[in-house]
Amino acid sequence: MRYCSKAAQEKRRGFIDPRTKLALVVIIALFVLGGIGGEQMEPVKTGLSALPFLLLLVERQWRRFLHGLLVLVLGYGLLLAMPYLPGVLNYIALMCGGILTRFVVTIVMGEYLIGTTSVSEFICAMEKLYMPSTITIPMSVMFRLFPTVAAEWRSIRRAMGMRGIRFGGTKAGQVVEYQMVPMMTSCVRIGEELSASALTRGLGAPVKRTNICRIGFRIQDHVLLLLCAAVIGVWILELCGVTLWWS
Amino acid sequence: MSKTENKLKGRDLINVGIYSAIYFVILMAVAMLGMIPIFLPLLSVIVPILGGIPFMLFLTKVKKPGMIFVMAMIMGIMMLLTGMGPWPLLTCAVAGILAELCYRSGDYKSAKKAVVTYGLFSLWIWGNYLPLFTDYEGYFAQRQSYGQEYINAVQRLMPLWMAPVLLIACFGCGVIGGMLGRALLRKHFAKAGIA
Amino acid sequence: MSFVYGSDNAATKHENSLRNVSLAVRDGEFVFLTGPSGCGKTTILRLINGLIPQFYPGTLSGEILINGKSVSDQELYDTAGLVGTVFQNPRSQFYNVDTTGELAFSCENRGLSEADIYKRIDETVADFHIKSLMDRNIFHLSDGEKQKIACASVSVAGSEIILLDEPSANLDYEATMALREMVIRWKQQGKTIVAAEHRIAYLWDLIDRAVILRDGQIVWELSGAEKDGLSISELLEMGLRSTVQEPPTDVLLPDFAYGDEPIVLQDFRFSYRGEKREIVSIDRLKLAAGEITAVTGANGAGKTSFLNCLCGLEKRCKGIMEYKEKIYGRKERQKICFMVMQDTGNQLFTESVLEEVLISSPKSAEDAEKKATELLRQLDLDAFLDRHPQSLSGGQKQRLAIACAIASGREMLLLDEPTSGLDYAHMMETAQLLKRVQAMGITLLVVTHDSELIHACCGRKIVLKRG
Repeated sequence: MRYCSKAAQEKRRGFIDPRTKLALVVIIALFVLGGIGGEQMEPVKTGLSALPFLLLLVERQWRRFLHGLLVLVLGYGLLLAMPYLPGVLNYIALMCGGILTRFVVTIVMGEYLIGTTSVSEFICAMEKLYMPSTITIPMSVMFRLFPTVAAEWRSIRRAMGMRGIRFGGTKAGQVVEYQMVPMMTSCVRIGEELSASALTRGLGAPVKRTNICRIGFRIQDHVLLLLCAAVIGVWILELCGVTLWWS
Repeated sequence: MSKTENKLKGRDLINVGIYSAIYFVILMAVAMLGMIPIFLPLLSVIVPILGGIPFMLFLTKVKKPGMIFVMAMIMGIMMLLTGMGPWPLLTCAVAGILAELCYRSGDYKSAKKAVVTYGLFSLWIWGNYLPLFTDYEGYFAQRQSYGQEYINAVQRLMPLWMAPVLLIACFGCGVIGGMLGRALLRKHFAKAGIA
Repeated sequence: MSFVYGSDNAATKHENSLRNVSLAVRDGEFVFLTGPSGCGKTTILRLINGLIPQFYPGTLSGEILINGKSVSDQELYDTAGLVGTVFQNPRSQFYNVDTTGELAFSCENRGLSEADIYKRIDETVADFHIKSLMDRNIFHLSDGEKQKIACASVSVAGSEIILLDEPSANLDYEATMALREMVIRWKQQGKTIVAAEHRIAYLWDLIDRAVILRDGQIVWELSGAEKDGLSISELLEMGLRSTVQEPPTDVLLPDFAYGDEPIVLQDFRFSYRGEKREIVSIDRLKLAAGEITAVTGANGAGKTSFLNCLCGLEKRCKGIMEYKEKIYGRKERQKICFMVMQDTGNQLFTESVLEEVLISSPKSAEDAEKKATELLRQLDLDAFLDRHPQSLSGGQKQRLAIACAIASGREMLLLDEPTSGLDYAHMMETAQLLKRVQAMGITLLVVTHDSELIHACCGRKIVLKRG
């Protein structure tokens, strides 16, 4: 069968539009992490906290789901155990538990966004949100380079092992130097070649860039966006002093 | 310099991308440590120091206004994406502008200003702690259920006065990182022909 | 006339500068540039695609015209529509993370309509039979596949002029032949092609004109008929590599000869994390101690992984090595094996060449510095004692890494593709170097696609197949 790029792009399309995911990230960060809103918002926040876990399940991201769950359980476990622990351990448990439970929801949401969005989808979404190319170009380069930087790093660590260069705790500075110098040198060289290749293919032309990636709002996006609007609505009502439910 | 020459071109933007990538990978490697929460305050020490190495090399490529600011904003967006909330975006904008102005005042080549520039740039990291300090009272009001003992303990660990201390730590370690970066620049990168 | 390229004095670095070169290429012609490293081949390509002087600054006199328009005066994105380039390094030339996006990239930058881009992609995919490569993560492709995508993306862009800058340098025999198929397709479509290459064999019969450069000047210009009449000795005299494409697996050499001292490898198995299939799977293998053994096999046959296992860099490879009635486990192998990696730059850490050798030398020795200097002299590196290792050329870095291996007293030296992208003279130099190292009593294993290198220095050969 002949290859049809349009159909293939359509098939690869994510379950949720990246813009919707971004909206969710912001809402969850504001209300759950930022703790905006008073008593009335508590049930809303509980619901929001569950949302990223739910989404991970829907998209069958089992590993990320379990990771998130594990951290959550660990956090609450520490908080519960805290009063029974002696002295210093008590503080440590408290601090770890407090911070873990605070950040875990937003981090899981971030994990969801990163795990389920392809780079091209994300860049496309940024372009549709009218981000200027001054932001989108560096960001796409950055996403492109992450695997490269990681691979170089691994390769350098291996090379150090092979050369038999090992350090005790006292030479931390030298470890940094030995790792950073070759890594930066090779990343910068790869970056130069990448620039050359991109520029000969017309990057930076003063025309409106097209993007063949297919994104757009569908029913599931509308539901989630409505949800975001509702959360803000409840908050505004609360600010106005309306009592919505008795808790 | 004419206006068109000051506009950021493809190559400048790619450069921003390259150094952002290196900086962010370092940030993430250190942040893995930060997942063990005791190390959280240490982030404002380690990240500025290690990040100084790529950043100082980055500054040698900066010859036009806007590049530092763009890099700062990208860090803000990345923090938003990884779930640190929208507060870093604000601190990034402020830190980016300050760093930009500082480096500009040195005509994009002063070595001393470069170190200060990086110190100012490092201030953005403070944004990651903001949710721990914003709405401090509200946070504890909600956690009444955990008991007074808990609240006392947290207040001792993350007292409000830590906020400015962390801010100063960011700047101070930024300056140290900047000097470290300069040293490596002279020792290695200039000789290796990539600076 | 497609483009003229008149009297240039492009001095970017001293090594790669051009002097008084003029070259006219007709529409639909296939011009082949070759010559020793640093002769200015790449410089010419960079002038045509506008990277010089827009990206690599330098002093340029004279002009480069494409269809009567000067390239050096127009913006890079204007040239981009006319000229497409395939670069040497498959790892650094793609901009996107997925293959489809990469094919579309050039058209997206020009703001073509989505429908048009889809149509172009579909046509190219059908043309080049690369359906199986579509919608994949580029980081999961082999170098050969990456290079196919790079070629296809030039095709999707629809450029009339196609530049090839040593595209085969990192490719194995099969991938090189696939590249040849793509070039044939372009010729059929009537594209103008300018290629710069050291490896001439795979394209030699296709070219309309061969241009041989030396020190930034054109020394020979041969038409199709003239180049076919050349004898091997004439080619060698011009410093060219062989025109015969021979798969490295066909070179006849024993894997182990009678009388060799054996090094026996047992149970070397390795698979990538999360993958069931074993990429290295060796029950028992005898290597000849003190010889230079070529390790060949297609891209993806696990050659590099094999070297990693042998060096003891893979924790999950439990194989053992037996040599002179001694058993070497992973940790022990780390102490006697040394690998010169493909990215040699990643294994050099210090700020000077001498220092680099010293950190490998045994700490106790008092005259370490004297010994190191002597060693560097033997490897012709004594002129660079104070240079920063990262500023050396590829071949010099290789020699420095070998010096470190010798200084640390390793008995086995493994090299991963030591001659990719080298011209004939440098390839022979490497071959001589390997022989010298062999003479020091060191066992060498060389992973290579380069049949000429195998002929020049290897005495034994093993072929790895996937699994």
